[in-house]
Amino acid sequence: MTADDAWRLPPWWVLLVAVLLIVCAELGGASMVRFKLELARWARDAMLARPAVHGLVGVRDVDERILDEALVKFDAGLRLFHLHAEGMGLVIIATTSVAATLGGRRAGRALIALLTAGGAGYPLGYLLWSALIPYRGIEEGKAIAEWSVWIPFGGATIVALWWLAGLVTLRMLRR
Amino acid sequence: MTGPLGRPEALRLFLRPPTVLTVLAVLATTASPVAAHHVGTYVPKDNAVSANFKEIKFALQAGKLDVALRLFEGGALRREMRARAATLPQDLEAEALAAVRTGDARVAEGRLMVFFAALARDLAREAVRQLAEPGVSPETRAAIGPKFLEAIWRYYNLVDFAVSMRDSKSSVAMRLAFDEAETYAKTSAAPAAVNPCSGQRRAADRGRTAPDPDRLRASLERVAQILGDLVEASTPARRNP
Repeated sequence: MTADDAWRLPPWWVLLVAVLLIVCAELGGASMVRFKLELARWARDAMLARPAVHGLVGVRDVDERILDEALVKFDAGLRLFHLHAEGMGLVIIATTSVAATLGGRRAGRALIALLTAGGAGYPLGYLLWSALIPYRGIEEGKAIAEWSVWIPFGGATIVALWWLAGLVTLRMLRR
Repeated sequence: MTGPLGRPEALRLFLRPPTVLTVLAVLATTASPVAAHHVGTYVPKDNAVSANFKEIKFALQAGKLDVALRLFEGGALRREMRARAATLPQDLEAEALAAVRTGDARVAEGRLMVFFAALARDLAREAVRQLAEPGVSPETRAAIGPKFLEAIWRYYNLVDFAVSMRDSKSSVAMRLAFDEAETYAKTSAAPAAVNPCSGQRRAADRGRTAPDPDRLRASLERVAQILGDLVEASTPARRNP
């Protein structure tokens, strides 16, 4: 086996970011269980304080359904943060290892930066969405999270992955 | 060899390197979940009253009278009946309780049908009131309609079969009025999602792209009227003067 055939690890700071992301995911998951009632109460109170934002009409049979949907989505956002942060931590480690091994110096640096920033930032969008639901509503909160986090960070990851795929294909054709 | 981002020497793992195809396969599987930032779907749940109604109904149908009685006596449905006694026919709760006690499923179902029709009627009346309030913006009026319609249908749907068995004219009239209300509440001419029984739209309504709160209010008035008549007609005092 030659030195060129060996796997290369990404820089330590990338590994630190990935591990911290997984730690945040686990903390988020544990907090969701430990503070489930407190979180639900806080979100419900915040929504009741903003009836116009959520379109509450003052009739229990109508409003309960609206509040229930918002609370389900609030909880879903926290769960999705937990799942995506766990998964993206591993994705960062796996893809930056490939980039470090096959990306070359310049392309490798750019790829690692994109994959790390994109992978670490993307799950935070779900956390932001959950936090915004009580204040801005389901749809507006989602739109803010989409444009400020999901699209830029998710886009960075997708671009980097396709770039990496192209590099790997090029390597394959050259062999 | 220089490592990425200024690291002098990247660590090497002396493992067998992956084949290019393996790496491509891994990349392909990681790209798709990243691209799809789905946020899940919401399925409306029963509230305490509708869930309790279903439990009582199934217990009665299964002939489990003791279970039905326990569910009715300590359930959310009876509490709601008491809380709304002022707007319900006199002795509705007592008659329902007596029917459950004696195991008369048909009468019990009839009394509970009246209760849910009354709940839906009150919601329709409140929707009419809110749609007629002065100073409410057109956007708010347009948003109010579908929410009330959904709540009305959620209650009425529980007893629609019972209504159709007892008063088929009211059942058909209610469906038509509700379908019409849905048409005026919708922002597009797409098929109704709430009422699965709604059929083809009229040609004039098929091209509708904006809600019409004024016509919606008229349709909701009709819904309230039909349900009010149904409640009145189903009270024993009115039936057997």
